[in-house]
Amino acid sequence: MSTRARVISTLLVVGLLSWSGIGNFFDREHREANPLIPDHALRLGLDLRGGAHVVLGPDLDASVTNELARIEGMLQERLEDDGITAVRMVVSGLELRIQPATESDAEKLRSLLADDFSVLDVSEESGAAGAPTQFRATLVSQEADAVRERAMQQVLEVLRRRINDPQTGIAESVVTRQGDSRVLVQIPGVDRVPEGIVKTTGLLEFKIVKDYAESPELLRQKYAETGLPEGTEIAVERAKPEGDEKQGRVIGAYLLNEVADITGEHLVDAYSRFDQQIQEWQVNFVWSDVGSRIFAKLTEENIGKPLAVLLDGEVVTAPTIRGRIARQGQITGAYSQASAAELAIILRAGSLPIDITIEEERTIGPALGQDSIDSGLRASAVGVLLIVVFVVYYYRLSGVYASIGLVANLLMLLGLMSMFGATLTLPGIAGLVLTVGMAVDANVIIFERIREELRAGRAPRAAVASGFSKARDAILDANVTTLFTAIILFQFGTGPVKGFAVTLSVGILTSVFAALVITRLLYEWKPGQANVTELSI
Amino acid sequence: MPVELIRSDTHIDFLGRWKIAVGVSLAVLLAGVAGFAVNGLRLGLDFAGGTEAQVRFATDTDEGAIRDALSPLQLEGISVVRYGAGHQEFLVKFKGERRVGNTEPATEITARNDRVIAMAEALEANIGKVELERTEYVGPKVGAELREDGLEAMGYACVLILAYLAFRFSARFAPGAVLALVHDVFVTASIWLVFGLEFDLRVLAALLAIMGYSLNDTIIVFDRVRENMERRTTYDLPSVLNESVNQTLSRTLLTSLTTLATVLALLFLGGDVIRPFALAMTIGIVVGTYSSIYVASPTLLWLENRFGDQAKAS
Repeated sequence: MSTRARVISTLLVVGLLSWSGIGNFFDREHREANPLIPDHALRLGLDLRGGAHVVLGPDLDASVTNELARIEGMLQERLEDDGITAVRMVVSGLELRIQPATESDAEKLRSLLADDFSVLDVSEESGAAGAPTQFRATLVSQEADAVRERAMQQVLEVLRRRINDPQTGIAESVVTRQGDSRVLVQIPGVDRVPEGIVKTTGLLEFKIVKDYAESPELLRQKYAETGLPEGTEIAVERAKPEGDEKQGRVIGAYLLNEVADITGEHLVDAYSRFDQQIQEWQVNFVWSDVGSRIFAKLTEENIGKPLAVLLDGEVVTAPTIRGRIARQGQITGAYSQASAAELAIILRAGSLPIDITIEEERTIGPALGQDSIDSGLRASAVGVLLIVVFVVYYYRLSGVYASIGLVANLLMLLGLMSMFGATLTLPGIAGLVLTVGMAVDANVIIFERIREELRAGRAPRAAVASGFSKARDAILDANVTTLFTAIILFQFGTGPVKGFAVTLSVGILTSVFAALVITRLLYEWKPGQANVTELSI
Repeated sequence: MPVELIRSDTHIDFLGRWKIAVGVSLAVLLAGVAGFAVNGLRLGLDFAGGTEAQVRFATDTDEGAIRDALSPLQLEGISVVRYGAGHQEFLVKFKGERRVGNTEPATEITARNDRVIAMAEALEANIGKVELERTEYVGPKVGAELREDGLEAMGYACVLILAYLAFRFSARFAPGAVLALVHDVFVTASIWLVFGLEFDLRVLAALLAIMGYSLNDTIIVFDRVRENMERRTTYDLPSVLNESVNQTLSRTLLTSLTTLATVLALLFLGGDVIRPFALAMTIGIVVGTYSSIYVASPTLLWLENRFGDQAKAS
């Protein structure tokens, strides 16, 4: 390439990349209004702008257990159809254990499992002397993976709906999958994770109340002799008013069927509303067509009886049914504005099917983030200044070239990172500062080489040419190895540390370009083709 | 005359002093072992798991008052230290995991989930207005994974660099360079142990960056060794090595100095969060420069004397 072509293409590259970075110096409105300013800019990491970074671990194995329990139910029905009833089945963890009463039942079970339950991997164990064969079944691994995947998708979906909720959601929040089994939730501008998003699982159930007492103990006393009727259980109600010291205490116990009459899965909408008449916040809900039919029948048949509304197994409220309700209903129960809104979100978004563990949570207040930006930028500025002063003092005009290269390097780095929409974190700023220090290394290597060539008696132009060509390999080798470690860090690092890896990697690329191309061209400009006797280096 | 840090006619017999170098390196490593015995391996939040909260009070207070305020919460393994300058900012750490789910009673979830909030409330009630500047929680699973991943990352980096050097230079050069960088990581880690400092992700990032960076100087030296070897038909390896180290001495020192300048700017001006990283980098750069002069070349020579016959034969 001719020098002219190289100058033009280099200017083009530097110019375009620098232009790409200028969006960072304008706010969003300016960027959108002015067609000359690119739309993209660096995103600030949560450690700089403040916010919560939460890694959640859904218990995906539980979804496999749930699936086995469902299959257990199906199997039970099939066996009953065939007149086999004395089969004991237990789901334990990832395994379904089946214990038939006789060997002939075992025979029938074996063929049933083989014919119609191909999702199960069945192993047999001959029982102790005389006892019939036992079966141990697990989900075939493909099916188990599919079940886990479905559960994961559902968790992601529910979390997204909750976090992007129009009423209480937080703009620019992100829910992303991390690896096979984790979910990363990033919420800017909050100093804690809104609890409704991950905490409550939101299983809504409606059950007709069979009996009531002030406390579970009193309720149990009533049935001390007979025991609780079959298929029923006790659920408690707790005091709710916030700020009340009684909050959380059990204030009532209900005897209810184990199986719900209708659950929240038939809801299509829920919203919080202030009821002027009773001066209370309440949550309104709307049933789907199917839900309406079931609910209408339930309320019609049970007029006059109390209907318990349960959330995650606890009674929220238990109003008496006054008449047939089909499409809509309300839940009242001394809610505050916030808790009513929270419940509405949970009902709208659906329930989380499995337990979720908070694996990691990092929150940064906005003040600390701003401090980090300030001190990071100050350190960068001082770093750049130190370097520029040093190289100009030590290498004179060549030092000025190196400084020009350094500035171009930073502009390109900013431009490239903005183009990719990279996130700038505090460690990322550290990477930036480190890049400044390392970028000059390449120049130092070249300049020292040129000095060496000059000492060996070469003419300035020849010394520059051979200095660059001989230093090139060493510079490339040195930077490739640093790039390796940066890439590895990106692979293994999490959160903000990744930002360090990103700036370091991009910075290595731009600094090699700056040293080998930009400073090289500056020498071609001056001394250029002139036969100078001395070089300012 | 150009400004020169190292006179161009410098001839120092670096290789002749390899015994001193080995002594110095071993002394630091042994001090690291002693530090480990005394202080133990102190893992930061990222690797050990637990909760850490950086709090700022509106008025001056002290560790004792904070402990007293928090004692009713019975936080496991609690530690309170002053943070930054002044008596208003503190770092509160405690152990234990958090969980949310539908299998546990709601009140228990609340109690666990709200420990940080409960802490803030207790501090506010007993001491005065408090701001949660930063809270971090790392669960046991993630902690263990980060530990494993961290070690794995260092291992991968070593292997990758070894392979690249073997490919670019020849298998003879690679072990010296890798020993130098392993040396740098261990010596930096030893200094960390001696002072009982905490290892966390920031320090890991610094150690990895050191691995990549400390190699730069070594590569410059080895590149020159390769060049000097190619230029001659016969040579005496020790003198070629010494000559190469001397020839590249000024750039080895200068490149380290420029990088050191920026890292020192980070150390003094970059703020508390980035300080452990900057400190580890500072140590690593100094150690890396030392090792590229005193460790890489002697190792190369030692390996050649022991296993190689090409050098002398040719």
